[in-house]
Amino acid sequence: MKKALSLVAVLAIVAVSLFGFSRTAQADEIKFVGVITKIELAGKDAKTATVTMKDNADAKLIAITINDDLTLDKLKDHRIVEGDEIRCKYEVVDGKNVSKLFRKTAGC
Amino acid sequence: MKRTMISATLLAVVLTAGAAMAGEHPGKEYIEKNGYNGPATCEECHKGIAKKFLDTVHWKHASKVPNVHGKNIDPKKEYGMKNRIYSFCNGNDIVNRLKEIPANEVGKSKLAGCNTCHPGNQQCEVGNCEVGVENSIDCLICHSSNYDYSKRKPYKNDKGQVVTGQDRSKEAAMAVGRPTVKNCMTCHESAGGGVLIKRGFAFNKENDVHAAKGMVCVDCHKGKDHKIPTGLDPNNWANDGVLVACPDCHTEAPHKSAVYNTHTAKIACQTCHIPHSGGAIAKDFTVWDKQANKFWEPSTLKRDVQATRPVYAWYNGKVLDSPNYIGPDASANRKDKASKIYPFKIYHGKAFFNKETGDLLSMDFAPPMATGDARAGVASAAKILGMKNPEKVAKDATTGWQTVYFANSHLVTKRNALTCDSCHSDNGILNFANLGYSKKEIEKLTNTELYFNKSMEIQKSKEKED
Repeated sequence: MKKALSLVAVLAIVAVSLFGFSRTAQADEIKFVGVITKIELAGKDAKTATVTMKDNADAKLIAITINDDLTLDKLKDHRIVEGDEIRCKYEVVDGKNVSKLFRKTAGC
Repeated sequence: MKRTMISATLLAVVLTAGAAMAGEHPGKEYIEKNGYNGPATCEECHKGIAKKFLDTVHWKHASKVPNVHGKNIDPKKEYGMKNRIYSFCNGNDIVNRLKEIPANEVGKSKLAGCNTCHPGNQQCEVGNCEVGVENSIDCLICHSSNYDYSKRKPYKNDKGQVVTGQDRSKEAAMAVGRPTVKNCMTCHESAGGGVLIKRGFAFNKENDVHAAKGMVCVDCHKGKDHKIPTGLDPNNWANDGVLVACPDCHTEAPHKSAVYNTHTAKIACQTCHIPHSGGAIAKDFTVWDKQANKFWEPSTLKRDVQATRPVYAWYNGKVLDSPNYIGPDASANRKDKASKIYPFKIYHGKAFFNKETGDLLSMDFAPPMATGDARAGVASAAKILGMKNPEKVAKDATTGWQTVYFANSHLVTKRNALTCDSCHSDNGILNFANLGYSKKEIEKLTNTELYFNKSMEIQKSKEKED
């Protein structure tokens, strides 16, 4: 009986840890700097956009989903265009890399 | 003839009033029919406006600065980002005019410069007022809500000059009107090395009570003939000679509480209503940091909007400029009737100093951006500025820090404003000793009896709101 209870307790701890870990991993923000290679935006009224970027560190392509109004506006009026270098923070939500920060690295 | 003229005038008035009542800028029919031809089109109605614009800070990036003094300040000269040498930018429009940055280690070059935001086309120097230069003014970058910014990129023209394009399309011109927050922030958020680096504030509903009310920048900074009212920021000197301050709208007695209103004589509104700041807090121009794209940038400690706490000091608008310090001068103190306690974002910049004079040296960013060699940037700037022996000036230059006080004027909050105990409790945010109060006075100022009842009243009021 004691053994069975211990086993249940261990399993519970493992389950809680795994659940907690996966939640943390999902909520983790990933940062990188890269150059925009493609912007997919469905018109002026689009509520979302997909921006493909080439990570400066390893040249891998990453598709970022943009949902915030300010960045969408910058994409629509071309304040942000292909070739711009961007400092980006994103979270993986339901398999999509959702932008949390999307700023041009350049200033004057 | 007379009747025709009266009828035409009446028609124009009716059309203008109709358009204005509908919230639209009049004259769109004219643009639709004739297209947009830059400032000449605007001048059809706004006669002489372009020439007047040439006498503003937005064009000159400089003005006389009678509130600033220091050994290198000549009251007869104009100062601003055109020519200032200080440790936030360390360059200016003269030494860092839009140019081609030499190739970096992977053979890439780029076009960059301090004057990219100047509302001309960069073919002439900033502040150039030669005959005809007004035709290069980019009216629509500030006045169109449908500007295509991809046309505003720097490029090399057929003469090999690095210039910027403009969106002079009919579509952009048809969307002409009062500047929106976007129009202003397109340039003003990107100063000093990136988005929200210099000023460190975002003017949006999440961060500013005025923006949350739907106000735009020009509601407070409402210009006349493009002369824009501003405050006296110890860091940003150039101004159009017109001031704006909170009491202009809110009066000197803005609170329902008489106790709060007794504070306004000596405490600036910003002190309680702007409890945070943001942006870069320190930069080192002597050590450049290689970026992932193989270009170099000055090492910079960046902080997000609302991420830093200000420092509080007496200020009366008078500014001392020295190689190691830019901020309120010694005339500001608690006995001075013009002084109030203000919040400041404190910034520290490390740069090169002239070994002979002790003056801060400027830097041309092109060489260090390509190679990381900061002293090469000092030599290049010294050459551009006509200094003798520029290579020697750079080689002998010493390094040191300059402290700069930035005005905290945005990120205004009502709900999260400081309350009595924020300052009057034992560990309050105001350092009363540094502000010139005696031990006995501080004991009185931090007595719980002083703030308890009022703090309880505020607490209850907030609980009721929640």
